[in-house]
Amino acid sequence: MKVITPQGEHVDLMTLNVGPSHPATHGTLRILAALDGENIAGCVTEMGYLHRGFEKMIEQGTYSQVLPYTDRLNYCSAMMNNIGFCKAVEKMFAITVPDRCIVVRVILSELSRIIDHMVCTCTNLVDLGALTNFWYFFNTREQVYVIWEKLCGARLTNTMTRIGGMYRDTYHGFEDDVRAVLVKIESAVHEVRGLIEHNKIFIDRTKDVCAVSAADAISWGWTGPCLRASGVDRDLRKDEPYYGYETYNFDTVIGTSGDTFDRIMVRMYEMIESVSIVRQALDRLKPGPINTLDARLSLPSRDQVYHDMEALINSFKLVYEGVRPPAGICYDATEAANGELGYHIISDGGTNPYRVKVRPPCFTQYAAYADMLTGSMLADVASSLGSINIIAGELDR
Amino acid sequence: MIAHRTHVPQGPIQPGLTNEQLATLLGERFALTRDASDRWDLTLVCKAEQLREVVKYLRDEPTLSFAMLLDVVGVDYLAYPGHRSERFAVLYPMKSLAFRHRLVLKVMVDEEACVVPSLCEFYKSVEWAEREAWDQYGIVFAGHPNLKRLLNHHEFVGHPLRKDYPCQKRQKLSMNDPMIDQLEARLRSLGYTILERGETSVGQAITRPSAVPSALPKAGGKP
Repeated sequence: MKVITPQGEHVDLMTLNVGPSHPATHGTLRILAALDGENIAGCVTEMGYLHRGFEKMIEQGTYSQVLPYTDRLNYCSAMMNNIGFCKAVEKMFAITVPDRCIVVRVILSELSRIIDHMVCTCTNLVDLGALTNFWYFFNTREQVYVIWEKLCGARLTNTMTRIGGMYRDTYHGFEDDVRAVLVKIESAVHEVRGLIEHNKIFIDRTKDVCAVSAADAISWGWTGPCLRASGVDRDLRKDEPYYGYETYNFDTVIGTSGDTFDRIMVRMYEMIESVSIVRQALDRLKPGPINTLDARLSLPSRDQVYHDMEALINSFKLVYEGVRPPAGICYDATEAANGELGYHIISDGGTNPYRVKVRPPCFTQYAAYADMLTGSMLADVASSLGSINIIAGELDR
Repeated sequence: MIAHRTHVPQGPIQPGLTNEQLATLLGERFALTRDASDRWDLTLVCKAEQLREVVKYLRDEPTLSFAMLLDVVGVDYLAYPGHRSERFAVLYPMKSLAFRHRLVLKVMVDEEACVVPSLCEFYKSVEWAEREAWDQYGIVFAGHPNLKRLLNHHEFVGHPLRKDYPCQKRQKLSMNDPMIDQLEARLRSLGYTILERGETSVGQAITRPSAVPSALPKAGGKP
C-alpha cells in the first residue's frame, strides 16, 4: 500500500493479517496491520470468530440452564461467572445466601482469580519467549483444578454454583487442600517473580510498551487489573463491597504507567492479595447450611419430597419450570478476574430470562487494542495482547 | 479526531448521591422519570432527543462525575407481556469512579425509525458497544463513525437478538471480511494519504471448491 506519511514521506506499507490463526491470538482474534518495516503504522481489529449466540441461547432455557453457559464465558475462571450470575438472580429475589455459602463463594472466587491471573501472566510470558514460568504456574494451577475436581467433578467448566446456594457443600479435607495449595501458589509466584521482575530482556520487552493513560483507560471503560495498572485505584470489592469483602484485610494493587509491565505485575501481586483473602476466609468457614431454605429457589430435601405432597410439587415445579424472578430490569456486577463482570437481566416474571446482557470485562479492553498498538512494533502485538487478557469466550459470547 | 474529556479520580471513592437524590436531581433538571420496572436500582427513562445533553451533564458535572459508560444494551420488547409502548429500548448503565453511585439510562426506540443518537464523542467505550447493539438489534446510532457488524459475520442478514428472529435459523456465510477499507480509513485518520492500494492478498475472497457434496451420504447405508 503506497502512502504519504504525516511527515510527508512516500513509503510502501505492507498489510499483514496477524491472526486469527496465530498462536497468540487463540484462533479467534484478527489484527489487520499496515507495517512500516517492523513498526505498526495503523491497524484494525476484528472479533466474533467465537460468537455462538450466547445471549440468544439463554433466552430459550430456564435460569438454571443459563449456568453452564456462563462457565464458557471466561473459561479460565468459570466459577466466578457462575457466582456473578447467581448473585444477580439472587438480588432479584432479594435473598441472601447462608454465611457458609458466602464464604465458600469468596474462597472459590479468589482461587479462580489466582488461576486466571496465572494463565494470563504465564501464557503472556510464553508469548515473550519465557517458557519456564509456564511450568511453575501450570503445575500449581493443576493443583487447584484437582480441588475443583474433588468439589464438583468438573475441571474447567464447573457449574458449581446454584441460584440460592451451591451444587453441594465442600468435601472432607477441603480446607487442608486449599491451605496446601496456597503455599504452592505463593512459592510459584515467588519463583516467577524471581525469573522476570529484574530480567533485562523482560523489562525491555514490556516497559513503556503499549501504555494506556488513566484517562484513556477510564474512557475506554476499562475495569479490573488493566484499569488498576493505569494507576486508577478502583476495585468493586473495595468500592461497592459484596459478600463481606469490606471485612477482609487486603490491598488493591495499582500500577503507575499502564504499560505491559504494569499489567503483568498488577496481576502478579494480586495473586498474593488473593492468597491472603482465601486464608482469612478459611478461618471464617464455619459449619452450617450451604443452600437457602427459600422454597422459590431451593430443592426440598429428598426426605421431604418422599413424605410431603407440597414438597413433591415444589420439587417438580423447580425442576420442570425453574425459578421465576420478579418482572423487571436488574443490573448486578462482581469483580471478576478481568474486571467488572455485569449481568443486565430483564425478567418478564416467567421461567426463562427475557433478556440477559453480559458485560464482559475484556470487551472494552479489546476495543482499545487497535489504539494501543498504533505506533508500536509487530513484536508488541503478542506481548500486549497477553497483558490485556482477552478471553474469546466472554469477548465473543 | 474526537476529543474525549475524562476526569481521573484521586483517592478513595466517596459516598455520592443516593438513588432518590439522583432521581430528584435529574427529574427536576431534565424531567427524567424513574422506570418502575427497575425495582432494585435506579433506571431513568430519557428521551432520545435529550440523550446527548443528559449524558454530557452526567459526565461533566463535578458532583456526579459519571466517568464510565459500562455498556450499551439493546432490548426488544416485542414478546414482553403487556408491553404497549415502543418496541425497542437501549439501556446505558453508567457509573462514577469518584462517587459510589450508578444509574442506567433507558431510551425507548420506535420500530419505524429505529434510531438513537450516538454517544461516541463522550466515551471511547461506546463505539464498539453501539456496533454490537446495531448488529444484534438493528438499532441505528446516528452519528456513529463506523456502524458495522461486530459479533456476527459481515454477510449475515438480519439481527439475531430480535425476538422475531428464529433461534434455529441457519445462514450460509462464506467470504472473509477484507477490512482493507477500515484500515485505510484508520490510516487516513492518523494523517496518512493513501496513494495506491497495491498488490496484496488481503481482501481476496476465499472461494470454496465446488466439489463439496450438496447432501451428506445417509448414515447406515452401504458404501
